[in-house]
Amino acid sequence: MSKNNTMPLDGNRIERMFWLITARPGLVVVVALCALVFMASGIPRLVKDTSADAFIAADNPAVVYRDRVKQVFGLDDPFVIAAIASDGRTIYTAERLALVQNLTSAIGRMDNIDPDRVTSLATESNIVGTADGMDVTEFYELGDDSQTTGQAIAAAIDDFPLYQGSIVGRDGGATLIVAEVLDDKRSQATYDDLLALVAATDIPDGVEVHVAGEAAVSGYLGTYIDRDATRLNPLSALAITLVLVLAFRTLAGGVLPNLVVAATAAGALGVMGIAGVSFFVITNGLLPILIGIAVADSIHILSEYYALAGRFPEASRRQHVVAAMSRMCRPITLTTVTTVAGFVGLWLGAEMPPMKYFGAFAALGVIVAWVYSLTLLPAALTLLPLGSSPVFVRHRSDRFAALMQRFGAVVMARPRAVVATLAVVAVIGAAGASRLVVEEAQIENFQKDEPIYLADTALNRAFDGTNYLDVIVETPGREGLFEPDVLRRIEALQAFGETLPGVRGSTSVVDYIKQMHRAVNENDPAAYTVPDDAFLIAQLFLLYSTSGDPTDFEEEVDYDYQRANVRFNLNTSFYRNNREVIASFEQYIAEQFNSDGAVAHLSGRVFVNHHWLKTIGDNHFRSLAISLALVWLMAAAVFHSFAAGAFALIPVVLSILLIYAVMGFGGIWLGVGTSMFAAIAIGLGIDFSIHTIDRMRELAREGEGTLASRLAPLFPTTGRALFFNFFAIGLGFLVLTTSEVPPLVKFGALVGVAVTAAFFGAMALMPTLTILLRPRFIVDAGAGAAMPGGRAVTWTSACAFVVLVGALGWSDVARSENATASVAEGQRVMRAVVARDEGDWVTRRLLMRMIDRNGTARERDTVSYRRYFGDEKRTVIFYTAPANVKDTGFLTYDYADADKDDDQWLYLPALRKVRRISASDRGDYFLGTDFTYEDIKKENKIALEDYQLDKVGERDVGGRQLAVVEGIPVNEEIAQELGYGRVRWHVDETIAISRLTEIWDVNGNPLKTLTVSEISKIDGIWTVERIEVDNHKTGHRTEFEFSAIDYRSEVAERMFRTSTLKRGAR
Amino acid sequence: MKDLHRALVLFAVSMSVSVSALELDTIGEFRVAAGLEDEVAALAEAVIAPSVSGWLGESVFFKAGVRARADFADELEPGRPGNDFRARFSQRVTAGSIVDIELRNFYVDVEFDDHVLRLGKQQIVWGEADGLKVLDVVNPQSFREFILPDFDDSRIPLWTANLELALGSDTNLQLLWVPDNTYHDLPDPGARFALASPLLLPAAPAGVAVQLLSPRRPSRVVADSDAGFRLSTFRGGWELSLNYFYHYDDAPVLRTSTRNRGVVITPEYQRTHLAGGSFNYATGAYVVRGELGYSSRRAVRRQHHDQVPGVYNTGELAWVLGLDYDGVRDTFISGQLFQSVATAHRPGTMRDKLESNLSLLVRRDFRNETINAELLAIHGLNDNDGVLQFSVDYVLRSNLTVTAGVDLFYGDRDGLFGQFDRQDRLTLGIEVGF
Repeated sequence: MSKNNTMPLDGNRIERMFWLITARPGLVVVVALCALVFMASGIPRLVKDTSADAFIAADNPAVVYRDRVKQVFGLDDPFVIAAIASDGRTIYTAERLALVQNLTSAIGRMDNIDPDRVTSLATESNIVGTADGMDVTEFYELGDDSQTTGQAIAAAIDDFPLYQGSIVGRDGGATLIVAEVLDDKRSQATYDDLLALVAATDIPDGVEVHVAGEAAVSGYLGTYIDRDATRLNPLSALAITLVLVLAFRTLAGGVLPNLVVAATAAGALGVMGIAGVSFFVITNGLLPILIGIAVADSIHILSEYYALAGRFPEASRRQHVVAAMSRMCRPITLTTVTTVAGFVGLWLGAEMPPMKYFGAFAALGVIVAWVYSLTLLPAALTLLPLGSSPVFVRHRSDRFAALMQRFGAVVMARPRAVVATLAVVAVIGAAGASRLVVEEAQIENFQKDEPIYLADTALNRAFDGTNYLDVIVETPGREGLFEPDVLRRIEALQAFGETLPGVRGSTSVVDYIKQMHRAVNENDPAAYTVPDDAFLIAQLFLLYSTSGDPTDFEEEVDYDYQRANVRFNLNTSFYRNNREVIASFEQYIAEQFNSDGAVAHLSGRVFVNHHWLKTIGDNHFRSLAISLALVWLMAAAVFHSFAAGAFALIPVVLSILLIYAVMGFGGIWLGVGTSMFAAIAIGLGIDFSIHTIDRMRELAREGEGTLASRLAPLFPTTGRALFFNFFAIGLGFLVLTTSEVPPLVKFGALVGVAVTAAFFGAMALMPTLTILLRPRFIVDAGAGAAMPGGRAVTWTSACAFVVLVGALGWSDVARSENATASVAEGQRVMRAVVARDEGDWVTRRLLMRMIDRNGTARERDTVSYRRYFGDEKRTVIFYTAPANVKDTGFLTYDYADADKDDDQWLYLPALRKVRRISASDRGDYFLGTDFTYEDIKKENKIALEDYQLDKVGERDVGGRQLAVVEGIPVNEEIAQELGYGRVRWHVDETIAISRLTEIWDVNGNPLKTLTVSEISKIDGIWTVERIEVDNHKTGHRTEFEFSAIDYRSEVAERMFRTSTLKRGAR
Repeated sequence: MKDLHRALVLFAVSMSVSVSALELDTIGEFRVAAGLEDEVAALAEAVIAPSVSGWLGESVFFKAGVRARADFADELEPGRPGNDFRARFSQRVTAGSIVDIELRNFYVDVEFDDHVLRLGKQQIVWGEADGLKVLDVVNPQSFREFILPDFDDSRIPLWTANLELALGSDTNLQLLWVPDNTYHDLPDPGARFALASPLLLPAAPAGVAVQLLSPRRPSRVVADSDAGFRLSTFRGGWELSLNYFYHYDDAPVLRTSTRNRGVVITPEYQRTHLAGGSFNYATGAYVVRGELGYSSRRAVRRQHHDQVPGVYNTGELAWVLGLDYDGVRDTFISGQLFQSVATAHRPGTMRDKLESNLSLLVRRDFRNETINAELLAIHGLNDNDGVLQFSVDYVLRSNLTVTAGVDLFYGDRDGLFGQFDRQDRLTLGIEVGF
């Protein structure tokens, strides 16, 4: 600020920019608000994803294998409903058994529950020996009447070890109903439905009914988040407005920053919605952070504005605004750049998708806050009839400025004491860091008095445990499981597993074999063994299938008796315990189990969770290192000095060390919620350093007297603004500590500690170190060392633009790892489809009809040509009617080489321009149809390398037996590109065409169904003449009708040039 | 003119007799625009554009189309629309002050082997940049709505011989001969988008009368014709072109002289060589593309002290670098940087030595492309001015589209875009195809 009495305006580029913005304030406000509304329109599209799977990349081998296991054995994360006797009796009384039966059938009828996958005493069967062999009878059919049934079941379970601890508690005091959902994403609603069902059921005295299980945990977490968000958001707004009113004591001061906050939140969350990124558990933490940052920018600008308005009352409001903006533009831009660097570090360093997205969208939000602070705020300040702030008119008597001044005086008088104190903090922090523990358990996300937590505890006490570790045993060929040696090894594996900590029981096909073996030996307990004879084992299975339901084993063996699932129940989900269990299993399997006859792999929820949890520590330290490096580089760049960059990091490093101390000594785990605090603390904390250094450079340059006296004005001016900045962010995180999600509470508290440390580090340590060390980048910062403002802003905006466009794209970059799986049948069927003869060339007319959900139809006539150039397929489509789309053209070169991206061009007659389009948008819908570019290009074929294929069975469709092949994109990147998470083809193998194709989106929801309704043989080639697509999400439908199909007339090579595309249809 | 029309009608009739299958397409359009500053109708235009096309035998294709337009607001070309900038055989037919009719397409394609010769009135599009042009100089442009309409509507078709030779399967050589002395159609003073920026037009001192004379257009059909070539190829994912065009710059040189204490401005035209090339490459969700062009002679305006401003010639190197991004479903984002350097820049020149513009295009489709929203922003870094065009199309029926949009200019009144700061407008339109 200049010392004379005229407004400090000198007509530089930055000022010119703000004159421009304030010249048409109405327009700027309207455009800004429109953009806000546009961004906010994405918010309703946000989908919550509270599943543990969200934390692991979908192409992680552990997940890919688990998904294959799911397909084979149909295992999914289930809901577990337990009826537990609380009066010390058993559950075998008539009314209690009736309860189980009623609940089982009611649950089977519920929406989103797979009726074939509800398991309880009421659905299972008993295996007993009879005079002529073996009898398989449903438990509920035992006994003569309701009284004796209970006793009979009790006796049968006593005699059937398999069910002890899994379906019925080992003491008979509890029983389970296990229900699998059809769609994981709807777990939340299903959980609510289940609770409602239980509440509406007449439960006999002395019985408690609990709802738990992995699906319930995921489902309930959704409810939890909902409740949290509706509570936290108004609280944040209130807290911030309070800080603002306190800071400025004007209405505008309270309201305007809220607009910037709204835009920031809309920007980050809206774009998340538009980009199709889910709202994860930890996304709850994003909002308070963005709010804090957005408010901080506003506070600095408003402080300057009111200070100038108080000081130069004679100048116009627009002059105040322009002067304040040009003064604050630089520091705000600098803090934005460094904060973005911090979040980009998180994005780059983290492997877990929710954390990556957290970093990316926090960075985006910070940029939005910056843009709105520099545009909307000055425009609105110019537009509104504002008074001056009473605080700044009587600036000297403002108690916050005075407080900061006193703080400054104390600190500056004892520089060595300050440095020594903070050095001690650093040492304690380092000691704390060495005590950090990586630990996580999803159930611990809930408070201990929550019903779900209580249910989980009760279930793990009454049964063998609700956490599953699966061991998949694979034999080389069909019926490999009939080998007694393999079964004995499985038996030994189970015995070994049950000795491990937390493992309370296990289930496998061996348990059934032993039960059946004993049954056919007149229930002789000595025969509860694996038979020595493979033939006998085969006989036992056959015998069972004739007397019981053959699908009873589908969770334990596959259809061909080639693969078996051994399921271990663990009563704890704590990472550190299960890490030991998994290590023991891996060692045992490698050293004692695997052989030529059978190999085993680990899978199941516990194993998958272990896979991502083990990366938490690495993730944390890597993103911390990357964030620190990026912030250091950014700070060095903005101050033109590497030393300055390092200096700026001091308060940040201090705050991180302090947090380590709190965690290490306070017994707080480094878990999902807490592992991100460091990158966030850097992003937020660096602001204090940048503002402080920037101001100190200015003061050191301009003032007179000793360095200490020159730096003194730092405290009442920048210090005051930073104090409110700290206050706002602090309050934001204080709000987070009122969350019901315990990790968020810890997270909020930790970041609060970090921000406090960073504030005091910047305000106390940086000035004292400056006095002690007299760093050149502050003391010698001449006028020439300052950044040329206008250019800086131009380039920063250009960089921000590049970062934005880049960020959108980069997030798709994913690692591809091929899952290893045998898929011979699926491959064979689809290979035949791909190899189907299509002729060397073809010409045909195509009528496209697009019908929206209201029945309004649009039609397009087209003519298309296709020709093979060796392996390369070129296709061109021209629109011929109606007139307003005529001559629109699409040309594609589809290369046989899978590694080579296809090339494609679109010609839009309104622009007369052939536009090259990238091949990665192959999942985009083709010109308003429900076919994607890929569908159009492939014409009822696929790229084999895109999918893991598996023949899952056969199905009768319209009197034809069709091979059903399921394809799952080989990795997340391909899935995102295709827009498909799963595809199921119903292939007519006689003509190698899929007559019916069902497609699911990347989130597993039904997306569309393609039906080929007319096929005929033309010129000796089987040809689709009519195909319809129904989009289940939009209700939109597309029909394609082909006519005038001609395989005989050669299509000229020149048809496939971009110059032909320009010339249009003929 | 009458002879020409008679000939055209005869030709059309004779062709329709010999043609096997005729295709007749018509597009009708009605557009209104309201000025946001002056709140008057800036445009109230009805357009009908019928065209006919078909095959004459196996290898000859023809197309003919006219555009008849009536602008009831009469703000864009007040009074009878002029033909000053057009060659005699490319002139529009006008009726009163509001109607003009123009032949938009009139050509035959003769196909032989893989080659095509297109003869007649047509548009040639070089370059792919949005909003501003580097290589797209073959056809002149009508500036009656500045650069707001689609280029397809504002580009003026020329009588051209256009031979496209296929050299191998992925290489093309295009040879052009343009014996049509039609140049940029610039609105008269008093028109809504009359050019006023001192970058383009001399400003006389206050009180001095300015007289703008009719342009001195070259008129010799052969000696003053334009010619050039474009060699394009597609190799390893790269699409590359080399372009050369020897032509009259479509923008007039405004020579000024003093006469009777007033200033007289005479638009003249001068020849230049344009040499350049373009590339594009698709990788992942991105397409990068660029164009570079060097013009040997460009007239730039210079401000003399206390004197009538003059012009001098300089070479100009211009380029555009663009990045298109397709990674978000149903959304297309494209950013471009345009720059041009006056190679022989002298002090006191109205334009800067380096001129830079940024553009951003965001397009998003909704509901199976029945709704399309588009934002095009162009920002001039030298004058801090620019234009924002935002529009939304809604496809009501197969052949019926309604459009609403807003065009906003901002910045210094002396800037290229800022000169129209007061011409912000809201547009509504409906388009029907038959």
